[in-house]
Formats: sequence, structure tokens, C-alpha cells
Amino acid sequence: MVDTTKNLKMYTTHGTKSAKPVQPNIAAKLISKAKRPLLVVASDVLDEEILKRAISIAKKSKVPVAATGNAIKRFVNEDVNAKYINIHSLGAYLGDTKWTGLDGEGHYDLIIVLAHKKYYINQVLSGLKNFTDLKTLSIDKHYLQNATMSFGNLSAELHLEALDELIENL
Amino acid sequence: MSEINTGSFSIEELENVQITIGSIVGAIEKKMEAEGEMGPTPKPGIIGLREWDYKLLNRYEPVYTPMCDQCCYCTFGTCDLTGNKEGACGINMEAHQAREFLLRVITGAAAHSAHGRHLLHHLIETHGPDYPIDVGPSNLKTPIIQTVLGYQPKTIGELDTAIEYVEEQLTQLLATIHMGQEGAAIDFESKAMHGGMLDLVGMELSDVAQISCLEMPKSDQEAPFVEVGMGCIDSTKPVLLCIGHNIAAVTHIIDYMDEHGLTDKIELAGLCCTAHDISRYKAADGKKTKAKIVGPLAKELKFIRSGIPDIIVVDEQCVRADVLKEARKLSIPVIATNEKIMYGLPERSGDSVDDIISDLVSEKEPGVLLLDYDKVGELAPRLVLEMSVIRKERGITAIPTDEEFKELTDRCIHCLACELACPTNLSISDAMTAASEGDLSPFETLHDNCVGCGRCEQECPKDIPVVNVIEKAAQRVIREEKGLVRVGRGQISDPEIREEGVNLVLGTTPGVIAMVGCSNYPGGTKDLYTIADEMLKRNYIVLMSGCTAMDLGLHKDDEGKTLYEQYPARFVKGNLINVGSCVSNAHIAATTIKVAAIFAQRNVNGNFEEIADYVLNRVGAVGLAWGAYSQKAASIGTGCNRLGIPVIVGPHGSKYRRALIGKPYDTEKWSVYDARNGEKMPIAPMPEFLLTTADSVEEVMPMMAKNCMRPTDNNMGRMIKLTHYIELSQKYLGIIPDDWHTFVRSETDLPLAKREDLLKILETEHGWEIDWKKKKILSGPSMKMDVSAQPTNVKRLCKEA
Ligand code: SF4
Ligand code: SF4
Ligand code: SF4
Repeated sequence: MVDTTKNLKMYTTHGTKSAKPVQPNIAAKLISKAKRPLLVVASDVLDEEILKRAISIAKKSKVPVAATGNAIKRFVNEDVNAKYINIHSLGAYLGDTKWTGLDGEGHYDLIIVLAHKKYYINQVLSGLKNFTDLKTLSIDKHYLQNATMSFGNLSAELHLEALDELIENL
Repeated sequence: MSEINTGSFSIEELENVQITIGSIVGAIEKKMEAEGEMGPTPKPGIIGLREWDYKLLNRYEPVYTPMCDQCCYCTFGTCDLTGNKEGACGINMEAHQAREFLLRVITGAAAHSAHGRHLLHHLIETHGPDYPIDVGPSNLKTPIIQTVLGYQPKTIGELDTAIEYVEEQLTQLLATIHMGQEGAAIDFESKAMHGGMLDLVGMELSDVAQISCLEMPKSDQEAPFVEVGMGCIDSTKPVLLCIGHNIAAVTHIIDYMDEHGLTDKIELAGLCCTAHDISRYKAADGKKTKAKIVGPLAKELKFIRSGIPDIIVVDEQCVRADVLKEARKLSIPVIATNEKIMYGLPERSGDSVDDIISDLVSEKEPGVLLLDYDKVGELAPRLVLEMSVIRKERGITAIPTDEEFKELTDRCIHCLACELACPTNLSISDAMTAASEGDLSPFETLHDNCVGCGRCEQECPKDIPVVNVIEKAAQRVIREEKGLVRVGRGQISDPEIREEGVNLVLGTTPGVIAMVGCSNYPGGTKDLYTIADEMLKRNYIVLMSGCTAMDLGLHKDDEGKTLYEQYPARFVKGNLINVGSCVSNAHIAATTIKVAAIFAQRNVNGNFEEIADYVLNRVGAVGLAWGAYSQKAASIGTGCNRLGIPVIVGPHGSKYRRALIGKPYDTEKWSVYDARNGEKMPIAPMPEFLLTTADSVEEVMPMMAKNCMRPTDNNMGRMIKLTHYIELSQKYLGIIPDDWHTFVRSETDLPLAKREDLLKILETEHGWEIDWKKKKILSGPSMKMDVSAQPTNVKRLCKEA
């Protein structure tokens, strides 16, 4: 079992409310229990190993995927419900009760983030933390303190192991 | 009674008496009257354009992404504002973030304007207040000053009114940062817009003054080339490095070198925008440029550590705060020439040049502060000749030897502390492993992505000087880091606008892409080349400025040519123009004003709102500050926003804390008036944002194309723009975008080659009715195509129905 809760060194943003460290099996449980989860991925899915796991999560738990940055090109031929959206726009829309989601079926209750530039997603999460009630879960390899819950900082290998463990528990 | 004008004159009967009248009370106001038609807002105060800002902010809502949960502005706090809580003074997180953004904007605006103030007064001293403004073959010489203040300065002395206005307004804005007071985020936002607009004025007057007085290229399409890159510096010569943004002191150095036959004996190199402006100095009429450009701020630490500079002259703005500390380690004397950067150095303006040289050569002092520019002019060349002999004999550099390099890479314990601190999270640890096994390629790649911030070194528990290790490993690529940049040409001229304006407004030129700002790119300098190359091939006009303009010159095609060599520099489709340094950004914004004034005959004087409304609805221009980090980028972008120009910043730009993003699904927000009758007409979401971020080059390409669309595009124009949007999305994201159909008004908007396929999609996926015999759309589009419609967001500009 990978302990994903050890290294909680923050990047630059400091605040009074930081993400609760989370273990892979708990993260899996949160995803499985969510009614309208959304998996938000970015350019790091260009890495085959990460892509494989992102697809597994999307398929196994039937989570729709918001493919930000250039991530969408890796999902075009996959049997996954993925749509392109700019991450900053997504952050803005998620704070708007009038928005009906990428598929028009209503708001989300859990935002899961994976494969992002840490400094970029951390800002978007900061907007969500401060101005919405949304729960956000980071399963990225960086401790993203502006998420509600997050893995700690992980090496690339441990991160993959942690994702595998999460997938097993879905 | 005769009128007294400003200027200098002599009185016949009195010998040796010259009277100079600087400014006459009410003279500018009188002049403003004489300029003819005057819009409603000459010299607007904070409230002057608030209604316009509110219109923009209603459609483009602020999106806040705080850097920190707290506010520590006053000792009433520190206050925890998490979750939009209120602090002790009553301000909530939202308003505080808007205030934070405002602070960034006015910091940037102050940097440009203080630069302008310093330079302008220096030039008034050296050239006299009556020196005429001459920026090339244009009648509209200062479009921004005219639009904002309502007068047209004819001499550099008359620019004083503009700088005084900017300074007064900036003080008013800074006062609103104070605790308590403003509680509404939207009014902080309006103030930020005001600050951005002031920045445009400050930049314009700075650049107009220096173009006029310093023989810089004046709208010159044939401006010469200048060498760029760490690899182009000839280190066998004495190397004099200038860093910063303000060329005032450096001109004296260049003149001294010229007068004493030293120009070919000393390698004059510049970093950041001073480099641009040195290359522009006396480069009018195709004259050879006097210096070489090392690169942007990202190269500063690396170039100093190389030990190549023999002396460093700093002026102001983007200069590392540790230049003196770094230079001292390598026996490089530092000459500070501006009050903004003094590094704790003694002021030596009263001393003789010989004394100062002797103190610096003997390292009695690591540097001096010298505000007498005649002395700087003499000191720097003489000092560099002496220092170069001493330093080259001792072979001083911070770059490790091969043995030291091996030891350093072996020393790494792969704790990842450096990577965590690295702003771009570069894979330093793996590169260390590879390097210690003899493979330098990971470090060579890393070098281009590394912005030379040095944060990694601050964290390393093994005291590895990571930057030096990177630089050593990347010696091969650094040697090859050389290219060419076309020297900044200044303004876009009136005749060029006369020719191209119609294509821009009808959309047959697909758009203007303005690539500006600093060097904090997410994927290295190659990003810029990829973007510019793609957009130029597609006939966009690409405008460059500042550090971005330098970095673009570093990459070459298969035949070894940079884009500057491949594309001409005229303001027509498919051309590539470098306007110049940071303050030259004003000309980019001014170009859109010129389109409104020259092509559409709109009055510009004191008429900001109408001009901005014109630009927002008709001029397909997008700003891209891909590596933005400075506060100045925030102010430039915000000035453009108030003028109706959307701006995209790179992912690091999310740290500016706020974006302005429209919601395409909120259809109520996407309508304008038709100025012919005041009726409301729906438009597609264009532009979709005023300020936002993008993740990668692949994402940004279709975004730019999409946001060059404007309601006034004719069918041909829309077809061209839509084609690029769809093609770029397919090429870089692998998809046809979800929203392409929202931009279709009739079948003639559809790309010819794909028309049939797209009609099919419109029918099957969107339920549009198609007449297949005539290949016509019968129903579906939410907008009508009406070539003579006159879209506006300002009700007062409409004729009564
Ligand atoms: S300015 Fe207001 S929110 Fe900030 S520290 Fe002072 S009292 Fe607290
Ligand atoms: S100097 Fe380069 S490698 Fe080091 S932290 Fe800065 S960007 Fe990263
Ligand atoms: S911080 Fe130092 S020891 Fe740790 S991985 Fe980086 S270079 Fe190696």
C-alpha cells in the first residue's frame, strides 16, 4: 500500500485552509459514492502511463471527463465520455449555478483533478475553494493545497502505484 | 495683445537672455478646444469611464483565483478571508482579490510611467522642450494620448501634460488600496481598468519621446536586424552588459564609444528591454545597430554566472535584485544608473571618473551608483577595457569544470526538494542521474524550459548550484543559441492602416495576433516560434514586442532562417512586425485606435468609450502574453481590455489572481445594439473573454483564431476565420470544436471545402433546416447576416428608432 499522505510540503500558495491528505482507497470510495463526479485532466495525460490510468478511472466509475489543455486529443479514439474545455473557463462555470455541465445534465458534486501543471490547477482550485461549495479531490502527484482533499507530493513511480491502488478500489 | 506660447525665445535688446516658458495655465485646454471635435471624456477621472467598464464587466465576469487565503494589508488583521469571509475592515475575499489585481495593474503602470517621466525629462534636458514629435509618416502620432486626454502633443515638451495626468490619476488609484474604503469588487475592477488605460498613456509617451529624439526607426518596415542569443556574444572582446528598460544612461555610453573609436573594440550586450532600445538607438534609416541582445530576464542569472560580462550597467524594472551579489562573486563591477535600483551602493556622481575606476578595478567597491550620465558614458567603456584584461587573465566564471561537474551531479541525493521549488516543476533529479552517467540531453532540454530563477538552489540540502550545473550541461546548446531579430520599428503608420483597415474590419485578414510580454513560457522559447509560424502561414498579422520579440528570433527553420528573415514587416496579412520594447506595446493598442480613426473616420479626441466599443465589435485582434510574469504585463493586458482587445496569458498568468471570462451559455449576455436604429441584435460569443489563461500551445492556437472573430465580419471574412478555427482545432486538439456552429449566420459563412459536410452536421446534430438543392440554410442560426448592421454596446451611439 502506498502512503499518499506523507509529504505535504506546499508549493507557494499559503493559506489557512489546506487540503486534507487522502489515501488511494479513500479517494476511490469518494469517487464511487459521488452522484455527479467530473474527472478533470490536462496535458500530462500525454504520458501513456497516466493516460491509461485516467481512462481506467473514467471507464470503471463511469465518470465523465473534462479534457483541458490539449488532453482531448488522447481521448478522441477512446470509449470515454470526454469533452474539451479550457480549465479557467471550467473554473468560472463551476461557480455558476446556471451552468448545466458539459452534457447539460446539471451541476457536479465532486471534481477530481489529474495530470495538471501544479501551479495552474492550484489557482483554479483556489477559486473553487473560496467561492463555491464544491468538493475537489486531487489525485495528482503534487500536494495541491487548494483542493478539499489531495494526495501528498509523490515521485512519479509512487504516483502510478497510488493510482493503481485507487483503480482497484473503485 | 499678442499671445505667449510655450517654448524658448530670446529678447533682442538683451544679450545672452533666453526665456523659456514651460507651461501656461490653460494652454493645453485651449489647444484641446482648437483640436476640433471633442468626445465626452477628455482626461477622464476614476469615474469617467465607469459605465463602459460596467458594460464590459457585466459580460466578462471577474473570476478570482486567490494566491493566499489571507489579507495582511493592515495591522487590524491578519484576516482569514477563506470562503469569501469578511476581514476586520469589512472587505470580503472577492473585493480583496480585485484590490490585489488593481495593485498589480497600477504597479505595472507606475513602472512604465515612472520610466517615461525619467526618460522624458532627460530628453527635454538634452533636446529641449520644443523638439518635435516625429514617429514616422503619420498624422495620428499619439493615438492613445488623443483618445484619453483629447489633445495632440506636437513637441516632447507637450508630453508633460500627459505624464502629469497619469501620475495624478495613479496616486488617486493607489489611495484606494488603503484599508477600509472601497467594498465593491466591481469598482476595484473599474479602477484596475482605469490603471490599465493610464499605462497605455505612460507607455506611449515614453516610446514616442525616445523614437523622436533618439533616431530610432520610425514606422520603418526595413528596420535592420540585430543579433540575439547568449551564443552570439563575442567573449574575446571586453563585454559591457546593460540590463533593464531605460536607455537614458546607455545612450551616453554608446556616444562615448563612437566618439573614441571604441565601437568595434567593445562588445555591447543588452538584457531585457534596454537591449531592444539599444538596438533601436540611431538605427533609423537602415543604419547599423550598435549592440547585441543577450535575451530576456530568464537569461540574466545564467549569463552573469557564465562570467562573460566584464562590467554590468543596470537601470530599472526587470533586473534581478541579486545582480550585485552575483556579480561581486565573479569580480564584475556594477554601475547603477537609476534611483530605482541602488543596491546600497555609494553615490559617486561628485567624484572624478579616474577615482571611481580605480576603486572599482581594485575591488575596493563592488559597484557604484552614478546618476551623472556624462560620467557613466565615459566610465563604462574605460572600465570595461581595464576589467576585461584582469578578468580574462584570471579566467573567472561560475561554470564548473568537467571534474567539478561530475562531482556535483554525483552529489545529488534525489530528494526532489529542488523540483518542488521549481516554478515549472522541471525534472532536475532525473537529469542529474543522466548527467552523472554522461548523458547531457535531459539537461539540454531542461535548459530551454528553465527560467533561470535560481529557486532550486535555495532548496538543495546538498548545496548543489543547480543553475550552474544546468548551464554547464547545456554549453553546446548555449553556443548555438543565436539568431536575428528585426529591430523594433515603432508605430504602425497611417498609410498602412489606410490600406489594411478594411481587411481587418471585414475579416478578410483573419486577425492580428500580438505576442507580447515576458519569458515565463510553460514550454520554453520554442513555443513562440510554433505559434508565430503557424499564424503567419495562415495570414494573420503577427505583432511582437518586448522579451517575446527577442526569444522569437532564437529559432530557425530548416534553412537556418528565423521568422524575422522569412516574413516582411509591413502591416498587411501574413507579416511579422517587431514594434520594439515593453513601452512600444502602446503602438499595438494604438493600431486599433487608428483603425477606428482612419478607416472608420471616428473622432478620437477624448472619445475613449466610442473607440473601445468600435474595437471590441470590429477589430479582430488578440493579445497573447504567453510568458507573462511582470506586473507590467497585467497593466498592459488590462489597458488592452478596456480598449476592447481580449488577451490570453500563459498558465502562470493564473497567478495574477483574476480573469475576465464570458459565459457563452448565458445567451442574454451576447447581444449588442444596431446603431442604425437602436434595436437589440444577438451576436455569437465574440470575443469570449477579455483576459484568460491557456494551458499549452496546442490549446492556445484555436483559442486565438476563435477570438479573432467579430460581429462585423463579412461572409468571406467569417468563412476565413471559421476555417482557421476549425482547422487549428483539428490539427492541435484532434477535434472539430463543439461550438463552431454558433458562429454561422448563413451557408456562405461556411468553409468552402467542408461546406457540404458541415451542412450535414448542422442538420443532424443541431436540427437546422437545410435546402439541399440550393445548399442553403433555411433556419437554425440565432443571428442574421446583415452587412450594414452597426454593432455597438453603447446605447447613446444609436440613432433613435
Ligand atoms: S485590510 Fe481589512 S482584511 Fe486586510 S488585514 Fe486589514 S482589516 Fe484585515
Ligand atoms: S532556475 Fe530553472 S530549474 Fe531552477 S527552479 Fe528556476 S526554473 Fe527551475
Ligand atoms: S534538491 Fe539537490 S539533492 Fe535534492 S534532488 Fe535537487 S539537486 Fe538533488
